[in-house]
Amino acid sequence: MRRLTFFHLLLLTPSQALATIMLAGPAVYVLWLSFTTSSYGLDPQFIGLANYVTVLTDGHFWTAAWNTFLIVNVVVYAELLLGFGMALLVASLKKGRMILFAVILVPYGISEVVGVLSWRFLADPNIGLVTHALGALGITFNWPRSVPNALTLICTISIWHQLPFTFVILYAAIISVPRELYEAARVDGATPLQAMWTITIPIIVPAATLAIVFRYIFAFRIFSEVWLVTKGGPVQLTEVLGTYLYRVGFSFADFGAAAATGWLMVIGSLLLTSMYLRSMYRKSFAND
Amino acid sequence: MTKPLQLATKAILIALIVVWSVFPVLYIVINSFKFQRDIFAFPPPVLFTPTLGNYFDLWNNYPDFFGFVGNSVFISICAMLLSVFAAACAGFVYSRYRGKALSATAFYLVAIRLLPPLVITIPLFPWVNQLGLADTHLILILLYATFWIPLNVLIMKEFIDQIPRDLDEASIMDGASEAQILRHIIAPLAVQGMVACAVFVFVFSWNEYVYAFIFTIQNAKTTPLVLSELMDSVTGTNYGVLFAAATIQLVPILIVVVLLQRFLVAGLTAGAVKG
Repeated sequence: MRRLTFFHLLLLTPSQALATIMLAGPAVYVLWLSFTTSSYGLDPQFIGLANYVTVLTDGHFWTAAWNTFLIVNVVVYAELLLGFGMALLVASLKKGRMILFAVILVPYGISEVVGVLSWRFLADPNIGLVTHALGALGITFNWPRSVPNALTLICTISIWHQLPFTFVILYAAIISVPRELYEAARVDGATPLQAMWTITIPIIVPAATLAIVFRYIFAFRIFSEVWLVTKGGPVQLTEVLGTYLYRVGFSFADFGAAAATGWLMVIGSLLLTSMYLRSMYRKSFAND
Repeated sequence: MTKPLQLATKAILIALIVVWSVFPVLYIVINSFKFQRDIFAFPPPVLFTPTLGNYFDLWNNYPDFFGFVGNSVFISICAMLLSVFAAACAGFVYSRYRGKALSATAFYLVAIRLLPPLVITIPLFPWVNQLGLADTHLILILLYATFWIPLNVLIMKEFIDQIPRDLDEASIMDGASEAQILRHIIAPLAVQGMVACAVFVFVFSWNEYVYAFIFTIQNAKTTPLVLSELMDSVTGTNYGVLFAAATIQLVPILIVVVLLQRFLVAGLTAGAVKG
C-alpha cells in the first residue's frame, strides 16, 4: 500500500474542514454551553448540571419528549410496512417498474413547506378533500381543534415525505434475492406466503434494520412539519423536542437550556437506535 | 386468488400508490390555475376555466418573490459545486488508500452527520452574527454543502471503487501525477456518482427550510422560507397566489427528480446499502 502524501491531506482538507467548522465544532461547544448560563450579549457562566435539571423538571419538555417518541415510532413502522408492501408490489411487476418508481420518488423531492401547504389544504376543516372523505365515513377531522388529529396530520405528512427512502432501500434488497431460491421453494411445495416468510424477509433484514436506524435518527429531529402545522400549539400540546429546543433557545434566548435539550436529544436518539441495533443483532445471531 | 382478481387487486393498489404520491403535488399545481371561487368550491369542479391570474397577482403584488427564487438558485448551485468537489477529492483518497487514521476520519465524518441540525444552530447563531455572516448567501452555502458531505463522500468512494486500479497504475508508469490521474481519469469515469451527489445537494438546498428560517432575515431568504411566510399571511384570503408561488418552487425540482431519478437511486443504494 502506498503511503499518504501531502497531496492526499490536501484532498481530505475541504471535507474535513467544513465538517469540523460547521458541525463538530459547534456540537462540542454546545456541550460546554449546556453546563453554563448564557443569553444574548452575556458571557457564559459555569453552572454545572442546572440546565439539565431545569429542562428535565419542565412538564413541557416531557410532553415534547412523549410526542416525539410517539411520532417517531408511528412514522418509522408505518413507513416500514408501507414501504415493504410497495416494494413487493413493484418488484412483482413485469413492465412499468421504472415509471412507478419515478412516481413513488416524487414526495422525496418536494420541500417540507410545499408538502405541509398541500396537506394542510387537503385537511382543511371546511373545504379539505380529505376532511370531506373522512366525514363521509363518519369521522370528524379537525386538526386545528384536536391534538390527536393534529398529531395524525403531522405523522401523515412526515410519512408522505420519507416513505420513498424506506421504499428504495427495501426494494433494492428485495430484487437482490436470487430467483432460484423462489424456484426451489416452489418445487418443494411452499406457498408464496411461506416463501416470503422464509426467504424474502430473512434476506432483507439487514437492509430493513439499516432503514429503521436511519429513519429513527432522522425522525427524531422532526421540526418543520410540526412548526409549519401547529407551531407546537395549542398550549404546547403538540410540541416535539425540535420545536421545544427552538422555543427555549430562540424565543426565550436561554441558550444553556436549549443546549441541554440538544444533548438530551442526541443521547435519546443514540439510546433508541443502539437498543434497537443490539436486539436486532441478538435476534439474527440467535437464528443462526 | 384467481388470475383476473389478482390483476384487479394489483391495479387498484398501483392506482392508490400513484394517487398518494402524486396527488398532493398535482393538486397544488392545478389549483394555481384556478380562479379563487373554484379553489373554494366543493365538490371541486373537475372542469374549470383555467387562468394565469394567480401568477400575475404574484408578479404584481409580491415582486420580491422572484428575487428570492434567484437566491435559491444561486445558493443551491454554489452548495452543490462545493459539496461535490469536496466529496470527490475525499472519496478518491478513501477509495485508494487504507489505514487506521484514515478510517478514523471517515468514521468521524459519518458520526457527526448523526447530530440533529437544530443542535448546532445554538452556538452557530451568535458566531454567525459576530462574523457578520447572518443573512448572507455564504452561510447557507456552507451549511448546505457540509450537510451532504458525509454521505457524498461515501457515495463517491463507492463509485471510485468501481474504477479499476490498473488504470491508475498504468498512468503512473506513464509518468502522470496523482492530480492528473484525478482530473483526467477518475473524474470522467466517476461522473455518474458526481451527478448523484449533485442532485442530492441541489434538491436538499432548494427545499431546505430550518437553516433558512434561523439564519436569514431578508437579504438571503430562500423560496421555501418565503412560501412559509406567505402561508401564514395569506391563508384564507388568497390561496391562489400561494399555490402559484408553490408551483414555481416545486416544478423545477420535480423535473430534476424525474429526469435524474436513476442517479438518485444509484446514489441512495450506494450510500446506504453498501456504505
